[in-house]
Formats: sequence, structure tokens, C-alpha cells
Amino acid sequence: MNTLRLYSVLLGARLRSQMQYRGSFLLDLLGTMLGTLTYFLALAAVISRFGGIGGWTLWEVAFLYGLAETSFGLMDLVWGGYDYDFFSPRIRSGEFDQMLLRPLPLPLQILTSEFALRRLGRIAQGLAIFALSAHLSGVDWTAAKLLYLPVVIASSMAFFAALYVVGSTVCFWTIERLEVFNLLTYGGAEMLSYPMHIYHPWLTRFFTFVVPAAIQVYYPALYFLGKPDLTGMPGFMSFLAPFTGFGCLALSFAFWRFGVRHYQSTGT
Amino acid sequence: MYWALARLSFQRQLAYRTANVAGLVTNLFFGALRAYVLIALFGAREAVAGYDVRAAVTYTGITQAMLSFLAAFGWWEIIRSVRTGQVATDLSRPVDFFWYHASQDGGRALAQLLLRGLPLIALYALAYRIAVPPTPLHWLALPLSLALGLLISFAWRFLVNLTAFWTVDAMGIGRVASNLVLFLSGFIMPLAFFPDWAQAGLRFLPFASMVNAPVEVYLGVVQGPALVLTLLLQALWAVVLVLLSRVVLAAGVRRLVVQGG
Repeated sequence: MNTLRLYSVLLGARLRSQMQYRGSFLLDLLGTMLGTLTYFLALAAVISRFGGIGGWTLWEVAFLYGLAETSFGLMDLVWGGYDYDFFSPRIRSGEFDQMLLRPLPLPLQILTSEFALRRLGRIAQGLAIFALSAHLSGVDWTAAKLLYLPVVIASSMAFFAALYVVGSTVCFWTIERLEVFNLLTYGGAEMLSYPMHIYHPWLTRFFTFVVPAAIQVYYPALYFLGKPDLTGMPGFMSFLAPFTGFGCLALSFAFWRFGVRHYQSTGT
Repeated sequence: MYWALARLSFQRQLAYRTANVAGLVTNLFFGALRAYVLIALFGAREAVAGYDVRAAVTYTGITQAMLSFLAAFGWWEIIRSVRTGQVATDLSRPVDFFWYHASQDGGRALAQLLLRGLPLIALYALAYRIAVPPTPLHWLALPLSLALGLLISFAWRFLVNLTAFWTVDAMGIGRVASNLVLFLSGFIMPLAFFPDWAQAGLRFLPFASMVNAPVEVYLGVVQGPALVLTLLLQALWAVVLVLLSRVVLAAGVRRLVVQGG
């Protein structure tokens, strides 16, 4: 309970400081929203011109896109402190060393070190598109599906968070962030916006068995939409999301603890 | 003088070798993703809006190759220099402020074209059957169109950066602006695939002249009079934006207050 109270105190301070510059905040919110919205508009314009992609209608693709965007956006809001783009400078500047010395749980400090409300822009457009598509793609919403939906979103968040944690842990050795991780996070998120069967089978396999992004979004979406699987996987693939999502998060934290134990400061 | 600035800036880029390789891999990955998407969109279709599948795949390669050439994800040199106060030194140099930055950007862009653009196209040529400019005329027009695209892109980025003379939120404005450019210039999807009503407007904006125009020259989508018109529109935007940059710069310098230190 004490941890939770600490979390809300630290978070409250961070939020108050962001609201000091209302103009900048609104501009940042707009920028974040435009960045992802324009991408969707381009996608929507082209898919409607071609009348679908790989047997999927625009709104079915929008369902994938909305699901991936909402999960990634929510994760990015909560787990922003573990974003290696923000974490690697903290190692370089020695700020991480200070964190190690403070009598506060380490994850708590990192989670609250970066909590940017402007990310609500991305979440809002993701949710709006998802809500529209959930209606317009003609999903037959049963009780089971409604119960499974929050599980899928939570598992996807756990999965994307695991990518951030691994990316940050690697910084203990490399100091600099590795640009290659953007392929997994941003690349993964973009890839998840389309049905997986349009990609080369090896690419699909990589994002299923090595980095299980497809299990988090694509296969559950097949279940929600009632679409046939064209990648030749068994039907239970739609229900592995919580296991792979939270499994990845657990593994990433094991790696993180290993990294912290072997951490040598840069000395700055 | 400007030549020397461009050369120095060119050489500076050569120093970042690992960053360039990592960037190349990233461009290649995103290019391949877009290529899969376009191939799936075409399905069994022969041609759409003057593009066949081969042209569409080539489009993804060339736009990725142009990303770093045009610094499409952001270029904040002036915003940073206003923040640090360095801008005062830059403004009092005995060189023109616009061309001081433009020549350095030219050197940077040329280095990016050689280090990331050309290798990317070469790798694309290995992976896909890509299209090449159809006639000698298109080959000749290509460098001209690329150079004009770069100048328009630079003048636009310069203008966006100049907002730092008026507001402390220039970085936020810059992010909004570069997201708009990615969308409106045809980086994300070829403009030719947008709905007709949208295209009619988008094609005449300066953003289309940055990216869409050079790519369509390369692919030979524009031919004969259309080719000449494309280049003329680019030249027009280049002149307009360069002149506008100078006017805004003059107004900004009168306005700028640099904090000491």
C-alpha cells in the first residue's frame, strides 16, 4: 500500500509540472495526435481506393491498427520511464547512479521519471479508431469476447513494456541506445497494423516465435473478427496472448535484475 | 566560402559510420514492410494510377532512401542555436545566415545520399526487380528534381526553425510540421493512390514538390509536358520559399532577443 501511495505522490508531482506550461502541453498533444492520425489517414485513403488488402476490409484493418495503437499508447504512457530513448541519457549523465542510492524502489523511480501526458493524444486517436472499427467491421460481440478484450490489451501492454525493459537493460553495457530496437517497437507496431499473411512467412514466423508481437494483436484479432487464419497456425494461437505477454515481461525483468547486478557506472 | 562549409559538413557525416549502418538497416526494414503492403494492395491488379507493382515497390525504396537526405524526421539546428545563444554568433558572421545553413545542409544531404540513399537502392535492386528512369531525359531531370526538392525542404525547415525567434515552443511546432510533411509529401503512401479530390490539392502544395515530384520523375510517371510542368512547379516553390525565408528572417532578427551567456 505504501508503494502505491509513493507512486501517486511522485506521479502527482510530475503531472503538476507538466501542466505549468499549458500552451506547450496542448501543442505537444496535438503533435503526438497528428503523427499517428496522419499515418492512419494515409492508410485509410489508400486501402479504400484499392477496396481492401489481402481480403481484409478497411475497418478490419482499422481494428488491428486501433488495437495495436491503443495498447502501445497506454504502455508508453505508463512505462515511458523504461523507454530506452529516455533511459540511456540517465545512464550517461549518472542520474541512474543517484536512483540506485535513494531509499526508494528502483522500478518506482524509473516509472515515474517519465510520464508524459501528451501521450494521451496517441491513446485518444487509437481508442477512437478502435471504437469506430469495433462497430463498423461488424464484430459479433459476445460476452466471451468482451471479457477477453481487456485481457488482450493488458497482455499487449505487458509485451511492449518487455521490449522497453530489454532495450533499457542493454544500455547498461552499450551506454548508447541501440537504434535496432526501434525495428521491434515502432517497426513491430507498424507491422501489426496489417494482417500478417501479407508478409513473407519468415517475417511472420520471426514476429510470432522469436518476438511474439503477432500473438499479442493479430491472432486475438482473428478471434474477435471471426476471420480465417491464412498463416496456417492452429486455432488456439488466438488465446496465447496473456501467456506470451506476461511471460515476456517476467523474462525481461529477470534480464533487468541481471543487468542491474552487473552495472558499472560510467563514472560521470 | 559556402563551398567550404558544405564540404566540412559533408566530411562530418562520414565520421558517423555505425550510426549510418544502423540507419540503413532501419530504412531497409521499413521499406520492405511498405513494399509488402503495396504488393498486397495490388493483389492481381496490373496497374493503378499509372503505377504497376514494380513502380510501387520502387517507390517504397526511393522514399526510404530520401528520408535522411531530406532530414524528414526533423532538423533543429536553428532552434538549438537560439536556445544556447549560439545564434548571436552565427548572425554576426560575415556570411549570409540563410546560405550559411543552406550550404551546410547541402553537404549533409549529399553525404546522406551517398552513405544511405545509394546503398539502400543497391540493396533494393538485389531484393526486388526495381524500376529505373525510363529515358535519358528522365535521368537528366532526376538530379535537378532532387536538388530542387532539397532546396524546398530546406527552406521549409528553415522557416519552421525561425519560429524559435518568436516562441519558446518552436520544438513542438517543429514536430507538428514534420509529421505533416511526412503525410502530405507522399512519404507514407504515394500521392497517386490518394482519393482524386485530395490529390488535386496536394499535388500543388510545396510538400509534394519535396518528395512526390522527384520520385515520379525517377519512375517516369510524368512524361513530356507533365515532366516539364513538374520541374517548373518545383522551381516556383523553391523561389517562393527562399524569398519567404528571407522576409521572415529579416523580421525575426529585428524581433530576436538573445539572453546573455
